[in-house]
Amino acid sequence: MQSNKFERIFLLAKIEFKLRYYENQLGLIWAVLKPLMELGIYFVVFKTIMKQDVPAFASFLFIGLIFYNFFLESTSGTIQILRTKKYLYEYSNMNKIEIYLSTLFSNSIGFLFNLCVFFIFYLFFEPGDTNVTWRALYLIPLYINIFLVSLGFSMILSTTFIYAKDIHQIWMVFTNLFFFVSPIFYRLSTFRESVPGADYINPFAGIIINARKVVMDNVDPEWDLFAFDFGYALLILLIGLLLLNKFGAKAAEKL
Amino acid sequence: MIMDESLSIVAKNISKTFHISEDSHNTVKHRLFNLFNPPRRKKVEAVKMMSLEVKRGECIGFIGRNGCGKSTLVKLLSGVYPTDTGYLKINGSTMLMNLGVGMSHELTARENIYVSGSVLGLKIKQVDAIFDKIIDFAELDGFVDTKIKFFSSGMAARLGFSIAVNAGADIMFLDEIFAVGDMKFQEKAIRVFESSWIEGKTVILISHSMDVIRKYCNRTAFMKNGAIEYMGDTEKAIELYTADNQ
Repeated sequence: MQSNKFERIFLLAKIEFKLRYYENQLGLIWAVLKPLMELGIYFVVFKTIMKQDVPAFASFLFIGLIFYNFFLESTSGTIQILRTKKYLYEYSNMNKIEIYLSTLFSNSIGFLFNLCVFFIFYLFFEPGDTNVTWRALYLIPLYINIFLVSLGFSMILSTTFIYAKDIHQIWMVFTNLFFFVSPIFYRLSTFRESVPGADYINPFAGIIINARKVVMDNVDPEWDLFAFDFGYALLILLIGLLLLNKFGAKAAEKL
Repeated sequence: MIMDESLSIVAKNISKTFHISEDSHNTVKHRLFNLFNPPRRKKVEAVKMMSLEVKRGECIGFIGRNGCGKSTLVKLLSGVYPTDTGYLKINGSTMLMNLGVGMSHELTARENIYVSGSVLGLKIKQVDAIFDKIIDFAELDGFVDTKIKFFSSGMAARLGFSIAVNAGADIMFLDEIFAVGDMKFQEKAIRVFESSWIEGKTVILISHSMDVIRKYCNRTAFMKNGAIEYMGDTEKAIELYTADNQ
């Protein structure tokens, strides 16, 4: 029999997306309103109060926030996934990885939507010094990169949740740390001077750095960082898969 | 190991023990503070070491008093719970059905039908084809786009039953399903069993209704304290169960 796996992942992603955005009055507008509001707050704080002198600062912030939010939603937002999606696997022998994939694809729709808003904003409202060229296509491997690293962390966190229910609080501290020790608000040179090596430790810092380079600076990504981040993502993904394989089966009885 | 194609399930020396910790804390903080003071755990041997084979197309009954391990065994055999020991081979897709399982209360009836159908291995087009049948059978016309959480328990159970009946799987585990719905619906459920529906399907039936077991099961297992005391002739199993209830 032909497998219906892809259809099923797509169906689950569609329903997940609908549940998230169409359940409230503003609908899909929330998907873009949230990063825009965050953008407004950080812009006021860093540009107006702290006098950050990065050119096209709103766009600079925006693209960083889009990647960060995808990472946050796909990791913190999925810690309890084995509990909330229990109805999918507690009566059949369905492969659990499909649940993760569908949720991340659902997040990807929001990501893509935000990216479109970003381009409209950047091209028409706050154009930078350089034009956007074909190099912007490097965003595709960068998206794959953040998808893989988020998927890995998602599997690690949600399987840990089976045994340690407070992993949510612990992960919140980490994401906060990653958020502030990342080049989301700071000029790259300041960031690298102040916290050397952080662009390699932080799972999404390199991705944000390279996303800005290919879109806003129209230069090639930093290849060593690019390669390192893919290696990082694959390692995390491997650990996630191992954990899910070993402990995921326990989810039906423990959660 | 190559499996005989005429067998749906082969289980060898499977068992399941639950370790129930007395304090419900399950956090990193709790674990750190109690490194040298491990939680007291109670061992519950839900299913003791057993072996069994189920042939393709068989309808097997499981009877026994509450807490004898029927539901746990069914969860092991359907692959929902991992076994602690032994070897288990399931040949085909499985579906476990009991009250209120298998649907998200946040989704509408329509969405649940598509999701469940898809999880059970159907393509979207195949679900399209049986969609109206499912709604009709569950008597839910007019509630197609209502969320399950607004359904009465009977309505939700009818929907679950209807999906199971119409979508199905190679191996069906039916845990007390004849307790679903009102009398009219129960009659309908029984009629499904009497039609050709179970032909070609492997069915494992748990029930406290001896009439149902007597009527449909070729073989029946009588369980007591997590072990299969007897497996074979249905009448004999019912006799043992009745004696156990005295």
